[in-house]
Amino acid sequence: MHPILADRRQLGLYLIGYLPIGLVLVLGFGQRDAWGTAAIFFLPLTMIYAFIGLSAYYVCSAFPIASNYRIWRALPAHISSAATVGGLCVGIAWVWSAALQSLNLGLQPQQYMAQPWQLFVVAALLFWLAIAFHYVLIASYATQKSEKRALESGLLARDAELKALRAQLDPHFLFNSLNSISSLTGSDPAAARKMCLLLAEFLRDTLRFGGTHRIALKDEMSVVQRYLAIEQVRLGPRLAMTVEASDAALATLIPPLILQPLVENAVLHGIAHLLDGGNVSISSELDQSTLRIRVTNPVDPDRPRNRRSGFGLMLVRERLQSQYAGAAQLQVREETGEFIAEVSVPFE
Amino acid sequence: MNEIPRSDSQRLSAIIIDDEAPARALIREYLSGHADIDVVAECANGFEAVKAASELKPDLLFLDIQMPKLDGFEVLELIGRDTAGVIFTTAFDEYALRAFNVHAVDYLLKPFSAERFTEAMQLARARIKRADPVPARALLQSHREGSAPDRLLIRDRSHVHVIPVDQIDFIEAQDDYVSIRAAGRSYLKEQTLGELETQLQTKGFLRIHRRYILNVSRLAKIELSEKDSRVAILKDKTELPISRSGYVKLRALL
Repeated sequence: MHPILADRRQLGLYLIGYLPIGLVLVLGFGQRDAWGTAAIFFLPLTMIYAFIGLSAYYVCSAFPIASNYRIWRALPAHISSAATVGGLCVGIAWVWSAALQSLNLGLQPQQYMAQPWQLFVVAALLFWLAIAFHYVLIASYATQKSEKRALESGLLARDAELKALRAQLDPHFLFNSLNSISSLTGSDPAAARKMCLLLAEFLRDTLRFGGTHRIALKDEMSVVQRYLAIEQVRLGPRLAMTVEASDAALATLIPPLILQPLVENAVLHGIAHLLDGGNVSISSELDQSTLRIRVTNPVDPDRPRNRRSGFGLMLVRERLQSQYAGAAQLQVREETGEFIAEVSVPFE
Repeated sequence: MNEIPRSDSQRLSAIIIDDEAPARALIREYLSGHADIDVVAECANGFEAVKAASELKPDLLFLDIQMPKLDGFEVLELIGRDTAGVIFTTAFDEYALRAFNVHAVDYLLKPFSAERFTEAMQLARARIKRADPVPARALLQSHREGSAPDRLLIRDRSHVHVIPVDQIDFIEAQDDYVSIRAAGRSYLKEQTLGELETQLQTKGFLRIHRRYILNVSRLAKIELSEKDSRVAILKDKTELPISRSGYVKLRALL
């Protein structure tokens, strides 16, 4: 259906737009002493014409102006449709003038039919105007639609982001930590309390930062260090860590919880499979345009691969893709017993 | 609630296997209320566990599932015949079904309470008193069923070999054993060739003879020997006989 016909308010505005055109016709064709006759003849015709002009919408939809579309290809359609409308209008004007004549009101509308070519040309040119108007209309509807779609997809991405963050927290991490706390309660109550606090702070940070768009690397590092401190209670001396980051790098803004999953991956699929454990090393490097964060850890090349491995990395990759669209990357490689995950994000 | 057995009732030996020290400490603490249990070893990984269990032959195992090198099920597969009762302790609930398939006494989800632990202990005592040891073969079979392993585990007394499946050249039947040839060495394993054939058929292995399973990627060429029979020549020049039906299967595959 025609978008203007679908909306009563828009239809009203459109018809009012034809009023000046009708007045110009009255002034152009009317004689000094017969304005009334001209108005009675032309104003109703203009309103009828307004509805005929709406049909330009279908001409425009059938011959859209795309960037790769040459306008002259649509020209024959424009000319023939304008000519048809011109002829139609002359016919309607003739019927209207005959009708007015037969009413015997003392009007002489047939004077305007003396030169039907004039009416034909005016109607045809107006139709061209209507075509131009409809092209603009269609373009503006398209813009509105794409803006709406962009807004919707932005909302969807945000939704997916929150889901991903929630899925990221591995429940087994919680169960194992709670088991450690349960054990420490008997043997070392002070350590148990410390573990409770670490866990609470870690969870609170995860929830708090999960709702923000960007956080400083420094804040992400504190999440990571709490995570490692908790895992150290479980794994004991098997888990060691080194962190290396300049003050400038620490002040850089990154999406929240991008680094933590990499470290979690290093612990769960690296250190935890090694009899003697190893060192998780985090380093960062900043140049003019990019922040690179690298997590390196030893791995057992023969470790069993279950379906959960790689899940955390996949989520990080998806989030980087949805937020930076290719400008940020996560690369992982494994060489001679070492696993390296490197994330690079544009400097903001 | 803790019914401490009289001196005439049997004492039970137990091994605690978990890679996390706090988890082992917790079981020890809970066990302090069960005077009939002697903890004879604590192990922090699967290798230690296999060694300790083969040497000490305990009545009871507290077994974690996710551990470095060997997981709990693999430990059980390797020591199965020497085990009376197994209590799994893990944070993962998805292994419960598998645990009961290998006839575990109980399955404790971390974190667990002292009461829940005591229930498990009562089940264990009842199982051991009835002395119905799980037939080792049944236990191994149910564990192996339907799984296509990435590696084979072989126990050589208290030593464990882990052989990645893609390093195996071929497997030969020898009486009750199979001889697995991998990386220039042979390993003996108590298993039937038919069982291995089912396990490895999706991994690029083919039964080419009543007595041989071949890693097809090792095949260099097939030669016709004198009496209308064929021989597989491997990349390391080893020659293996091919039966008629084995040749048909091999042809279909190549």
